[in-house]
Amino acid sequence: MTDSVFIRIFIAVLAVCLLATAAHAIYAIDAYQRCSIIYFIGEELW
Amino acid sequence: MKRLLLQIAMLAAVVLLFAGFNASIYVLLTRRLSNNFSDTSQAKMVDVASFLPFEEDSDLARIETEFALTGDLPVLDGAAALVPVYASIIDSVYPAGCVTYDGGVFSDDNYYGENFAPDSKMQYKNTVRGYKAIVDGDTDILFCAAPSAEQRAYAEEQGVELVYVPIGLEAFVFFVNRDNPVDDLTVDEIRAIYAGDIRNWKSVGGENRVINPVTRLEGSGSQSMMNAFMGETPIGTKSPLALFGGAIGFSFRYYLDDMVDNAGVKMLSVNDVYPSRDNIRARTYPIVAQFFAIYRADNKNENIPRLIEWILSEEGQALIEACGYTGLF
Repeated sequence: MTDSVFIRIFIAVLAVCLLATAAHAIYAIDAYQRCSIIYFIGEELW
Repeated sequence: MKRLLLQIAMLAAVVLLFAGFNASIYVLLTRRLSNNFSDTSQAKMVDVASFLPFEEDSDLARIETEFALTGDLPVLDGAAALVPVYASIIDSVYPAGCVTYDGGVFSDDNYYGENFAPDSKMQYKNTVRGYKAIVDGDTDILFCAAPSAEQRAYAEEQGVELVYVPIGLEAFVFFVNRDNPVDDLTVDEIRAIYAGDIRNWKSVGGENRVINPVTRLEGSGSQSMMNAFMGETPIGTKSPLALFGGAIGFSFRYYLDDMVDNAGVKMLSVNDVYPSRDNIRARTYPIVAQFFAIYRADNKNENIPRLIEWILSEEGQALIEACGYTGLF
């Protein structure tokens, strides 16, 4: 694979990963504001 | 060929890096965020269908009484934790057929997914919407903890005087994960934790782990109680990393211990006193709160004072006790 093709694929993969992580973060922030804190604490790992 | 393998390895490394990061966040945080709109969380909140009056299989307290309301029946509403109380009152002294439950369907206007017909004498709006309903005249008696400053201000803005009648006692409790080795905190330690002055469990005899002091929705009964508990001390800001620390939360004993009954959490003793009903009654537990029957002073419904007088009677207080709360006397 040529460098230019690799860079395009790399950027595409990176973009998908960043988008997925951002979506995960947005969901977590939204859910944290609404979640049951009893469940949140009960499921904590020690 | 070697160059191609290197390129594939780089792509795989990026994917694995993000996958590992997201998996860690999921295990530590996201899987614990059961949303209120999800089936899991719905089950964790009050299941009103289990507390419907006049249903044989309801989880209601029942007592024998000759007192019975007729005529203009007051509409009762209240906080999640007090649904069993006012549902038991309706079951005991209201005529059958005055409650119409249409089932729970979530929507933007029905946050808790609990639908009662408009003419039903039992409603369920929980604390935040319940206070608005009592001020707006949509409810006759609201069963709740003490109001927040905003809720008092809303009543004043609307020119409405509310009457707060204490009808029972409840402990304000703090809880942690059952595997957290800390079992007891002092009042001062709790205030220092929420003020942000104590940030590690090690400082209060626990493990070396950041404390995550969890708060609740502003205006909810438990958050209003927490604000009152903190007094002049403001609740501090916490580091975003505290989200991954060992959490401490607060609630009312009955809601935590009897209604939700999550085996993953444990209540803490405060000043070496456990929040048992005996300790609440004896007032040895240091954070005992009253809960109230609240009505508009200008409400002319003659059944309101009659009903409240009965709730404060020996029979009414016995019903409060039978519901799992602690009576005033």
